[in-house]
Amino acid sequence: MKLSNHLRENLRRLRAVYNDCADVVFHDMVIGGHTPAMLVYIDGLVRLEELDQHVVAPLRDAPGPNPALQDIRNQTTVASVQTCGTIEAIVEKISGGNPVLLVDGQNAALSFGLSSWEQRSVEEPTAESVLRGPREGFIETMRTNIAMLRRKIRSPKLKVVTLHIGTCSRTPVAVIYIEGIAQPSLVREIMSRLNRIEIEDVLETSYIEEWIEDNRYSPFPQLLSTERPDVAGAYLMEGRVVVMVDGTPTVLVAPATFFSLLQTPEDYYERYVVGTAIRWLRYFFLAISLLGPSLYVAVVSFHQEMIPTTLMLTMARSREQIPFSALMEAILMETMFEALREAGARLPKQIGSAVSIVGALVIGQAAISAGIVSAPMVMVVAITGIASFMAPRYTIGIPIRLLRFPIMFLAGIMGLLGVILGVIAILCHLLSLRSFGVPYMSPLAPMQNNGLKDVLWRAPRWMLNRRAKQ
Amino acid sequence: MRRKWTCMPANARRTAPAAIALLVCALLLSGCWNTREVNDLAIITAAGMDLTEDGQIELSVKIYLTSPSSGDNGSMSGQPDGDKGTSVVRSVTGINVADAASRLQKEVSRRVFWGQTDAFLFGERMARAGLEEPMDFLMRHIASRERAHVFVSNTTAKDVLLLAPPIERSVADALVHMAEQQTGLNITMMDLAQMLISKSKAAVLPIVVIREEQGEKQSFPYIQGVSVIKNGKMIGRVNEDVTRGIMWLRNEIKQATVTVSPEQSDGYVSLHLHRNHTRLIPKIEGGRWIMTVRITGQDDIVENTSDLDLSVPDHIGKVEKELEKVVNTRVKMALEQAQKELKADIFQFADTFYRKYPKIWEANADRWDEIFPEVEVRLETDMRIARPGLIGKNFFRQEQR
Repeated sequence: MKLSNHLRENLRRLRAVYNDCADVVFHDMVIGGHTPAMLVYIDGLVRLEELDQHVVAPLRDAPGPNPALQDIRNQTTVASVQTCGTIEAIVEKISGGNPVLLVDGQNAALSFGLSSWEQRSVEEPTAESVLRGPREGFIETMRTNIAMLRRKIRSPKLKVVTLHIGTCSRTPVAVIYIEGIAQPSLVREIMSRLNRIEIEDVLETSYIEEWIEDNRYSPFPQLLSTERPDVAGAYLMEGRVVVMVDGTPTVLVAPATFFSLLQTPEDYYERYVVGTAIRWLRYFFLAISLLGPSLYVAVVSFHQEMIPTTLMLTMARSREQIPFSALMEAILMETMFEALREAGARLPKQIGSAVSIVGALVIGQAAISAGIVSAPMVMVVAITGIASFMAPRYTIGIPIRLLRFPIMFLAGIMGLLGVILGVIAILCHLLSLRSFGVPYMSPLAPMQNNGLKDVLWRAPRWMLNRRAKQ
Repeated sequence: MRRKWTCMPANARRTAPAAIALLVCALLLSGCWNTREVNDLAIITAAGMDLTEDGQIELSVKIYLTSPSSGDNGSMSGQPDGDKGTSVVRSVTGINVADAASRLQKEVSRRVFWGQTDAFLFGERMARAGLEEPMDFLMRHIASRERAHVFVSNTTAKDVLLLAPPIERSVADALVHMAEQQTGLNITMMDLAQMLISKSKAAVLPIVVIREEQGEKQSFPYIQGVSVIKNGKMIGRVNEDVTRGIMWLRNEIKQATVTVSPEQSDGYVSLHLHRNHTRLIPKIEGGRWIMTVRITGQDDIVENTSDLDLSVPDHIGKVEKELEKVVNTRVKMALEQAQKELKADIFQFADTFYRKYPKIWEANADRWDEIFPEVEVRLETDMRIARPGLIGKNFFRQEQR
């Protein structure tokens, strides 16, 4: 709705919009002793001292009656000033924390970029800590986050497109890519999917993640998420697109592949030999965390001849007192372990240590002495537990932890055959997945020789120069 | 619009849940029919087969006791500790092994589990009567291992199984470890089967002898000598010295220590043999069947109390000659016994000839029993002393030259 020339009319409409909003301040003022004006802002989202010093004070002393809007603008000493012509634009500015000045006789208003609010300082992200490399992490303010990215990649080719998502929350969302590296079709696809979102509020990136991913029923994440500017920057340089949401430190990276979810920034910051070794270790333990208990169950309840004789006799001894089948035992212990882990994650730190004390009892010697589980099972659960902590990202760790249970059932019903069936089913699903048109298992399937040097091992930097094609 | 992003077409999305539900039902309804928990098993660590007086087969098995209450420890934690006497022997008789095995299941409260059986023993009577029947059962059986070791017992197999040798956990462990040291023959189920179906139709098995000591717990079995089997039946046994000769010919000597006394000197030189290799080179020349046996080896001197200073190269040659002589003697003893007395081709000469001259062999296959004793064996032994050890002359024999 266009602004009218009368301040009173504009104010009436604005007050109707901000009915019952106690935090919206309508500051009455007179410009140069003649022209009535109104400064509207939200308390707490504005740098008040600067507003006083650079807007209110200069305008009070402005010369002459009936100044043009341009004169008023020049009178203020604020760098960021925008002109708004409609009520909607004004509301948008005010909600974003920018004070808006409405002047009598003008059918446009001025908004000053003086928004500011309490924000967390830049800290090291707890979920993605490194031993070597930058320690800064994204924070809840998108403006700061984009600045962090810009500081990493100073090229003008770093493009930032913003839009607002959420019919109610009007959350700013930024799509960031590097022109000339990111494929234009990928950027277009992401923009079009973002524009199709029908949602009331966006409080976290996961809100839009579930809207824009290719397969909505898959347990596997089809977008990467990170809190680290260096990771986001590295992906931008690979031609991926970063989607940032105001109000959360987590940003999304698209497209994601299975192997990119298994990489950590430190793979690249350490020497390549170390990076390769750790990567292999990670792949191996990923398999253990998926299959560990299932293989144990299958072997113990179907294929006893596969165990070395000496171990078999020891195991037979320790299983003697156990009332449950291996499958029951495994499910019991694995559920217990997941519960412990969840309990530990949500509890305040002071109580957290209590959980670990009890946990050591539940998964430990006490459980064996109580005759509930056998000693080998405790070992298996413990090894699987360690293996599941090897997942470099929480988002990829979760589906693997979950899929462990159906495979465990299959192992208990059909033995190794069941384990193999389960693995085949998971592989089929993974191979059929796509993330923004990119096959999920690439570059392994379909095979791209150039990309393999960053999957099978971490090739030295000078070999990684050529960008993997998508 | 949104549907486009998912991977399934619309009708598949409707039917998929039903299909998955059906699949899950099919899985679960079948149940865990062939599951068997470890604690429902009677684990057999060793099995023995004997022939009773009335021609029946007595099957004896050593069952490992997993229940702590039956052992001498009451620990709940299931830690392995002094598990002496934690096995029992059960014996049943039947008209054949399969019959006995099914009777055994009747007498054991748990499922009999053959998958961990590491040692099979045949009593001598049984071996002389023929291994054809038990071998058929054991090779046909799904669970029994081809890698299990096979022995012939000097007395009955049951006697051996009843032992509880002091060093090892069970008698099966003791036998297997002894065989694997390769001081005697090391024959697995697989080897035996291969020998039995080979062209030569002859096999060798290690013989287990019981060393009687005070008290049953102190007696232990050990491997001594070889039982020679021809056409599935044991036809004779050879003593310890000849065994070495057989092992040379079968290329089974991995390590050995030989003591020789070089000519024109008193005292002995002991040599440790390793990297031994025996090659059989067959040749048929105008109706004469010739087998060249080429034995090569590398030796270290481990002890020298002779007159010779072995840092002198000429003396090394002398010792090498002497060593070759010793090896040749043993090999000849073995050949003599196999060719002339037992007439059993336990060195698998038949297969060697067959591989080189398949057509000639086929034509003479029926006559092999006549040909084998007449095969001319030419020995080409070449022993090399590689390392004379850390010292030169013996400290106390400075007169060594």
